[in-house]
Amino acid sequence: MAQNPSRSPHNFGSQPPQGVAPRREAAPERWDKPFSAEMTDQDVDRVLEHPQFSSLQHTRFPSANPLRGIIKNDAAIRRFQQGEIVVRQGDYGNSAFLILRGGALVCLQEPSGDQLGRRQRVRPSLWGSFRRWLRQPRYGEVWSQRGSTVSPAAGAPRIFLQDAPGVLGPDRTIRLGAGELFGELAALGRTPRTATIVAEAETEMLEIRWQGLRDIRKFSAEWRQLIDQRFRERSLLSHLRETPLLRHLPAETLQLIADATRFEAFGEFEWQHTYQRAREASDRERLEKEPLIARQDDPAAGLLLIRTGFARLSCRYNHGERTESYLGKGETFGLEELFATWRGTPTPLRHNLRALGYVDTLFIPAAVLEDHVFPLLPPDQLARLERAGLATGSTIPWQSSTTTNAFLEFIVAQRFINGRATMLIDLDRCTRCDDCVRACADTHDNNPRFIRHGPESGGVQVASACLHCVDPVCMIGCPTGAIHRAGLEGQVEINPETCIGCSVCAQSCPYGTIQMVALRDEDGLPVIAEDTGAPIRRATKCDLCIDQPAGPACVSACPHDALIRADMREVEALNRWLQR
Amino acid sequence: MNTLRARRWLLSVVTLAAVLALTAAWWLGGIALRPVAKYSGELLVLLLLLLALFNVRKKLPFLPLGSATAWLQFHIYAGWLSVALFLLHAGPQWPRSALGFALWLVFLSVAASGAFGLWLSRWLPPRLTRSGESLVYERIPRLRHQLEDEAGNLVRQAETEAASSTLADFHRQVLAPYFARTPTLFSPLAEDDAAHHRAGHELASLRRYLSEREMLIADQLAELLEAKRNLDAQYAGQRLLKLWLFVHLPLTYGLLVLVAAHVWLVLHYSHRF
Repeated sequence: MAQNPSRSPHNFGSQPPQGVAPRREAAPERWDKPFSAEMTDQDVDRVLEHPQFSSLQHTRFPSANPLRGIIKNDAAIRRFQQGEIVVRQGDYGNSAFLILRGGALVCLQEPSGDQLGRRQRVRPSLWGSFRRWLRQPRYGEVWSQRGSTVSPAAGAPRIFLQDAPGVLGPDRTIRLGAGELFGELAALGRTPRTATIVAEAETEMLEIRWQGLRDIRKFSAEWRQLIDQRFRERSLLSHLRETPLLRHLPAETLQLIADATRFEAFGEFEWQHTYQRAREASDRERLEKEPLIARQDDPAAGLLLIRTGFARLSCRYNHGERTESYLGKGETFGLEELFATWRGTPTPLRHNLRALGYVDTLFIPAAVLEDHVFPLLPPDQLARLERAGLATGSTIPWQSSTTTNAFLEFIVAQRFINGRATMLIDLDRCTRCDDCVRACADTHDNNPRFIRHGPESGGVQVASACLHCVDPVCMIGCPTGAIHRAGLEGQVEINPETCIGCSVCAQSCPYGTIQMVALRDEDGLPVIAEDTGAPIRRATKCDLCIDQPAGPACVSACPHDALIRADMREVEALNRWLQR
Repeated sequence: MNTLRARRWLLSVVTLAAVLALTAAWWLGGIALRPVAKYSGELLVLLLLLLALFNVRKKLPFLPLGSATAWLQFHIYAGWLSVALFLLHAGPQWPRSALGFALWLVFLSVAASGAFGLWLSRWLPPRLTRSGESLVYERIPRLRHQLEDEAGNLVRQAETEAASSTLADFHRQVLAPYFARTPTLFSPLAEDDAAHHRAGHELASLRRYLSEREMLIADQLAELLEAKRNLDAQYAGQRLLKLWLFVHLPLTYGLLVLVAAHVWLVLHYSHRF
């Protein structure tokens, strides 16, 4: 039985007022809030004269979505000073940059965290941990002097590369000149920035947010070709090489496959904005709204590789649709069916594939696989596919006992599958002692970073703690990059020194796990802004105790073995925990 | 066999083997005229100190002192072992001194409260889970007031819209006291939801006097009753799960003081013989 607090039999305080006429407002439009209010018509004219835009045919753009409108509303002219960081490796961004004047330097080697204005993380010694505990403030989230990397004077916060001459030597960078485009792959694919780029001198750039970039790509063959070409050159080959099915192929075959591969995207890029509505919809409504990528019983036209995002694997079951599993980055769909068909047993697709949120896929046509991949399969993969073809049941790792299937439906519907460290609490073992909450507060300046409450299914609660998502939409739009991936393990962390309390991340987090907390002084009084008089706030969330010698305090503090931080991609481990 | 059950079996077998080994050692030591009371006393003091350290581990979550789960498992099974050791050490006779009697009484109280807490922490959580949405304990009083207000508002609405006092009378006599009450301390053990059933039953039998509009409000009141039932169950269950520790811990501190006195007396007087 899935229980969502907002859908429980009685939802505290959510009764709509009786007898009040609904308020009428104009429906929100995409360009109600332009990317930059400072973009003038003269600026737009100047941009449209740029070689990258002057050759575009305006007539290809629909009247509701003209190129001029896109430039005016989805783009902004940004001026960067020498040494100013434009993008940082590992950060998530929602825009691309076109250099209009000046130049930028791509760092070949990642500068250190403090050079990039990132908090340096040092695991404290035992004595250090103990001393920190003794010195922790009486009140949660006490104001401290901010770092010097954020300059609040210039409107939008600016971050400068520290020790720029030392980092930006001629042999350590690649120069990008006027007319060059960068950042488009990370913006469209929601992948981290692959390099740090710094303004070489005073530089003018056109920043285009992803919505505009998507539309320009859609209506302009030149831009589509340019972006696809860049993807093929920079990302596709490495992506294909990382796919187990293709790993063994020679370089020329891989290039041939890359040339035949098609890019397809499904769902809403900013799915977090409609997520709450989707959560409250009925199961059937929710399913109907999920874009269908491939339909059960259709012939398999090609192999689908998930590049980013998640997809639901389901099949018809009487009058409904039963979720069998979910696919994430790097996983494939349709392989067994294609292989069986190639072996002479025409096999239609066994499952539906639906986009959960936003899914970016690569499509490799069946003919390419039949000619260049299947004949060269290594024996172990061949044997596995033969077995899958003979099996009548599913080869999907999710066990289909009643309990786990209900839980699977729940985590897919609520999209908790996004979590790399989802806090799951076994309510049949949890004694509600709150040792986990106290341990969190003791390790985080008296402010626990999660709430032991959340949606439940089958006696398992998904607590309101940061999931450290595979697709961290909270990072998109952070003006200072304060919220970032802290390491290779993918922890999402907020740097308190660069957080400006704008709450963009808290509003973007679909799971509501980021809290805006008013800062206090040592006496517990709120700290207010000089100019506005409003309380100064900071975004806080679980950091997975990344700087604690004992790891996540919540897990190690639970005496009843009731709490885990689960990587939802590790389906078998999750199953074992549910079945223990 | 699942992993939790396998762990329980393994640790139970190990503990039982340790109890048998200690009993055999006690018996053989007695035959060999070894000072078994001294040895068993020393071992018991060591065990009690290790058991008490669990609470220290809880206070220092930032230190890598091992998982609290491992500590609790040790606490449970070493606790059973210490009971067996205590019975061997104290012997079958009734304590002869006041201190001995106090020690005997407090030790068994600590062990009994621990065993009760262990049983409670395994028996009650699944019942709370089945009761309904899990609630944060500290928020429950506020939610109770919210429910009381909502019920009052609904009844006033019914009174105004239907020009009828049926629900208002029912609210005054049954609902208001029900929404205001807090469950008794041991109600989770008795699984006592009689008050909820009585209120629900009376609301259902009241329907024959209600208009259609009042029926809709009665449906909402029934939902509030269900919410109050879950709220009471969560509150009483969580309160009991917290309160047993307030018995176990002070008794433990008392036991440590008595043990220290016992050890001092033993050491003091042992030098005279």
